[in-house]
Amino acid sequence: MDKAISVRALTVAYGATTALDSVDLGIPKGKITVLAGPNGCGKSTLLRAIRRLHQPKSGDIHLGDVPISGLKEKELARHIGLLAQNPSAPDDMSVEELVRLGRYPHQTMLQPWSAADGEAIQAAMFGTGVSHLADRRLGSLSGGQLQRVWIAMVLAQETDVICLDEPVNHLDMAHQIDCLDLVTRLNREHGRTVVLVLHDLNLAARYADRLVFMKGGGLVAEGEPDTLMSEALIEDVFGISCRVIVDPVHQRPLCIPIRNSTPRFRPEQTA
Amino acid sequence: MPLASSTTSNRAPWRIGQRALFLLLGASLLVLMYLSLALGYRLYAPTEIWGALTAFDGSETDVVIRDLRLPRALMAPMVGAALGIAGVLVQTLARNRIASPDTLGLNAGAAFAVVMASGIFGVASLPGLSVAAAAGALGTSFIVFGLAAAAGGISPLRIVLVGVTFAGLFDSFVNVVLTVNETMLDQLLFWLAGSFADRKIELALNGLPFVLVGGVLAFSLARSLDILQTDDSTARGLGVPLGVVRGLSFVSVALLSGAAVAMAGPVLFVGLVVPHAARALVGLDHRLQIVAAALVGALYTTLADIVARFVIYPREAPVGAITAIVGGCLLLVLLRRRAA
Repeated sequence: MDKAISVRALTVAYGATTALDSVDLGIPKGKITVLAGPNGCGKSTLLRAIRRLHQPKSGDIHLGDVPISGLKEKELARHIGLLAQNPSAPDDMSVEELVRLGRYPHQTMLQPWSAADGEAIQAAMFGTGVSHLADRRLGSLSGGQLQRVWIAMVLAQETDVICLDEPVNHLDMAHQIDCLDLVTRLNREHGRTVVLVLHDLNLAARYADRLVFMKGGGLVAEGEPDTLMSEALIEDVFGISCRVIVDPVHQRPLCIPIRNSTPRFRPEQTA
Repeated sequence: MPLASSTTSNRAPWRIGQRALFLLLGASLLVLMYLSLALGYRLYAPTEIWGALTAFDGSETDVVIRDLRLPRALMAPMVGAALGIAGVLVQTLARNRIASPDTLGLNAGAAFAVVMASGIFGVASLPGLSVAAAAGALGTSFIVFGLAAAAGGISPLRIVLVGVTFAGLFDSFVNVVLTVNETMLDQLLFWLAGSFADRKIELALNGLPFVLVGGVLAFSLARSLDILQTDDSTARGLGVPLGVVRGLSFVSVALLSGAAVAMAGPVLFVGLVVPHAARALVGLDHRLQIVAAALVGALYTTLADIVARFVIYPREAPVGAITAIVGGCLLLVLLRRRAA
C-alpha cells in the first residue's frame, strides 16, 4: 500500500500532559482515512501534528519519503491543506476573497498573481458548488454554505493531502451528509488523499476507506470499517455497549449504542 | 450544480477601478497641501507661495510660508498616512476593528515617556521630546503585544483589554504628574494636545525615513496580513510564519506610530477611523487597504490641520481635538451602517 504520510513513534505533549504517546500510522495515498475516538483521545492533535501545527516531542512524520520537519512553511502548505476546527474570517469578507487566500502558498512577492491562481479558484468554487456565491459576504451565508466555502479555500490550495478537523461539527444532518459527500467526490474524482477527524462513529464508518480508532493518546486499531467495527472494539474504545448491524442502505457497519458500560467515568462532553 | 462564472477571478479584478480612485485621492491630497500653504491667519496668493518656495528673500511673507506653513503642509500628510497604515496593521493583528494606536495605548505610552523625559532628564527641546515619544510608543507596543501574547495567544479581546488598561495607566500617571508640576504642564501642553503648529522642517525630514520604512515594510507584509484575518490554525495551515509576520508588523507599527507621535504628539482617532474608510473604499485586500489608508489618512489630517486654523479664529485649535471630534462622529456613522 502506497503511503502518502507515515507517522513513526510520534509523541506530542502539552506541557506535562502527553497528548499522543508513540503513535505509528500510515495514511494510504488516494484514500479517505478517518480518525475516530472519544473526546480527548488525541485525534485532533494527531491531525494537527501531521500538518505540523504541533511540534513533536519525539518521533517523526514523513510526507512520502521526506520528513516534514525539513520543509519550509509554504512548501508544506503546497502539499498538505488543513481545514481547521471552527475556522474564522471577517464577516464582511467575500466568498471569493476567502477562497483566494488558498493560493497564498503558491504565490511569491515577485509573482503575486498568476493565471493558474485564477483557474484554481474557479475550479475550487465550481467543485464545491459555491460559484454563484462568489460576491456574497461570509456573514450572509448559512452554516452549510459557509462550510462549503471553507472547503473551497482548502481545495484552491491544490494540495495532494487534505486534512479536515471535525468538518461537520456544527452542521445539521442534511448538511453533514452533503459536506462528506462532497469530500468523497473530491477524493474519488481528483484522487486527493483525505484525512478526516470525525467523532460520529456511524459517519466515520460510512465514509472511511480506512478507519483509525484512538483512545488515550494512542492507536487502538485500524483497518477497513467492515472488518474493524466490532462490538467488543467499540466497547473498548468508547466505553459503551452496543450492537453493530449492517446498514441496509449502504451496506456499511452501523453502531447502535445501548448504554454506557463504564458509568463511573464519563469523558468530558464538549459537543 | 451552478455554472462557474468564468471571468471574475482570472486576474486580480480590482486594478483598473482602484487606480482611478487612488489618482483621485492623490490629486485631492496635493490640492489640500497647497491649501495648507495658502490658508490660515493670513491668506496667500499662488504667486506669493511660489516666490517663497523658489526665491526666498527673507520677507515676512516668505518666512511665514517657508518656516511656518511648509513644515505643517508636509508633516500633516505624513502623520496621517503613518497613523492610517498603523491603524490597518493593528486592526488586522488584533483581529479587532476597534483596535488602533490609541486604544492600544501607544499614544498614552508616548505621552508618558515625554513626561518622564522632561521631568527626570530635563529634556526640553522638541527633537529630544520626539525621541522620547517614539521610544514610548515603541516600548508600549512591545509591552501590550507581549503581555497579550504571554497571557495565552493574541486574542482580539485580550489585546484590546491590555491596551486599554495601559492607556488608562499611562494617562493617569501623566495627569498626576502634570497636576503636581504646573511648569511642566505649560511646557508640554502644546505637545500633549497634538498639533502640527510651530514644528521645524527638520522634524518632518527626520520623521520621513521612519514613515517610509514603516510603510514599505507594511506593504511588503500585505499578502500575509490578508491571511492573518483568519484564525491562527488556518493561517498556519496556509503556510504563514505567524511569529515572523507578527514581529515584523509590530516593528512597522512602532516605526509608524512612533514617528507620528514624535512629529505631532497624540493625534487621536486617525488610526481608528481611517482603516474603516479605507476598507469601505477598497475592500479587505491589504495591498489596497494600506495604500488607501495612507492616502485617506493624509487627506484627513491635512484637512483637519486646515480646519483647526479657523474653528476658533483667530486662534488655533489643537488638531488632535479636530480629528477626535470628526473621527468620533464618522465612526458612529460607520458603526450604525454596519449594524443596519
